[in-house]
Amino acid sequence: MTEVTLNSSVQVRCGASNAFLVTASLIEPLITEFEMQGVYISASRGALELINTLNEIGVATENVRFIDCVSSALLGGTESTFPNISFIDSPIMLESILLRTLYHLNTIPGDSKFVILDSVNALAIYNEDRMLAEYLHTLINTFRARDVLSVIMNVPDQTPPGVLANLDLYCTDLIDRGQVVIS
Amino acid sequence: MGASDGIELLGKPRGPGSDTMLGTPQYKRDRCVTGVHGLDEILRGGIPYGSTLLVGGTCGSGKTTLAMEFVVNGAAMGEATAYFAATEPSVKLLENVRQFSFFDMDMVDKGLLNVFDMDVTYSWLGLTKATFTMDDVNALVKAITDIVNTIGVTRLVIDSVTTLCYKIPNDQLIRDFLFTLGKTLATQGCTTMLIAEITSVGMSHGGGRSLWSSFGVEEAILDGIMVLGDIDRRGHLLRYLQVIKMRGTDHSRAKYALELTPNGVMLTPMLKWGVDV
Repeated sequence: MTEVTLNSSVQVRCGASNAFLVTASLIEPLITEFEMQGVYISASRGALELINTLNEIGVATENVRFIDCVSSALLGGTESTFPNISFIDSPIMLESILLRTLYHLNTIPGDSKFVILDSVNALAIYNEDRMLAEYLHTLINTFRARDVLSVIMNVPDQTPPGVLANLDLYCTDLIDRGQVVIS
Repeated sequence: MGASDGIELLGKPRGPGSDTMLGTPQYKRDRCVTGVHGLDEILRGGIPYGSTLLVGGTCGSGKTTLAMEFVVNGAAMGEATAYFAATEPSVKLLENVRQFSFFDMDMVDKGLLNVFDMDVTYSWLGLTKATFTMDDVNALVKAITDIVNTIGVTRLVIDSVTTLCYKIPNDQLIRDFLFTLGKTLATQGCTTMLIAEITSVGMSHGGGRSLWSSFGVEEAILDGIMVLGDIDRRGHLLRYLQVIKMRGTDHSRAKYALELTPNGVMLTPMLKWGVDV
């Protein structure tokens, strides 16, 4: 990623095998190169595991607020020492995720902010297609109106076709495994 | 006659954000800006000044937090506010609300936020009986309005009016109490939230009775009705708020998802495909 436009929404397609590497390669330049702060909606894996792995490869995560949609389902999953993690009861609480994201964005100083949604296919496990498409539509437009960069991770072959088609329509950019094919 | 009079004439240039779906009304009432995230947008600018609202909700739906944020935001703007606590001691109420960033204990110390225990008020008035008479009800209305007058209260909350109404023996007396209270407070320019505890929200099936209030008589008298409840989404309770009625203003009647954050209440339109999941 060499440049960002704040009110853009970028769909990032990756494979099941390289999802974490793609995530790391996206978040690192946003934090270090563009000096942005933001919110990471973690529906694929627990935020604690994600933070530890990112820290191990040298990606600083102090300026990122994590919304963990996974760990509440695990016994003891919400016991965390990181103050930048907040937990959502379930990935089905889509409105709660949106409001928590807005809350965190309000607490972040400055104008250069991002939201990363990881991932559409993880949310698709729990949510009905039409509701998920509606949520993505709302999310993208909410953050575009607030000049916040939204990055939406997606494993296409695990995402319902209707949701995928809507995502292609709403997003301003598409990155396919790190290569920009539409801009 | 100009905009400063709070009156707009048809055909005059309209200011940004003044349009509604039905166009700009000729006359716009002054508003009590709640300061609650999203609520003033739902009410197209705030609660019309001097209105008395019923805020009905199921347990744990966020009624107390919403009402406390309403008075605290008024206090933060320098208004004198009052909160009558009937369901929990004021000390406990304040302790619970301290976790929210909108709350500042200085407001209590400076007399901008006045929290009263309803039990203390009853004792002070000698209302120790289990059931109130008409005279008792009148004495209570007078005590509340005297406090509002003396302090110059512009925002008032009674939490909850249900607890209070349980002491009033019949529907007619409840109606009289609420009507007199609302009328008196309105003439004093006080915007009031009456909290009502309800067990379920919506329309009852068969009986044709609405379930916005505890006794079924409050809703016709009061200026506005706001309900808070939960939607069960596959075993998870999602809070919501809906404005059913608000005299003197256009407003949204949609359901809004409500989240309690460290900054207080936040609202966003509920996903349409998620309302009946």
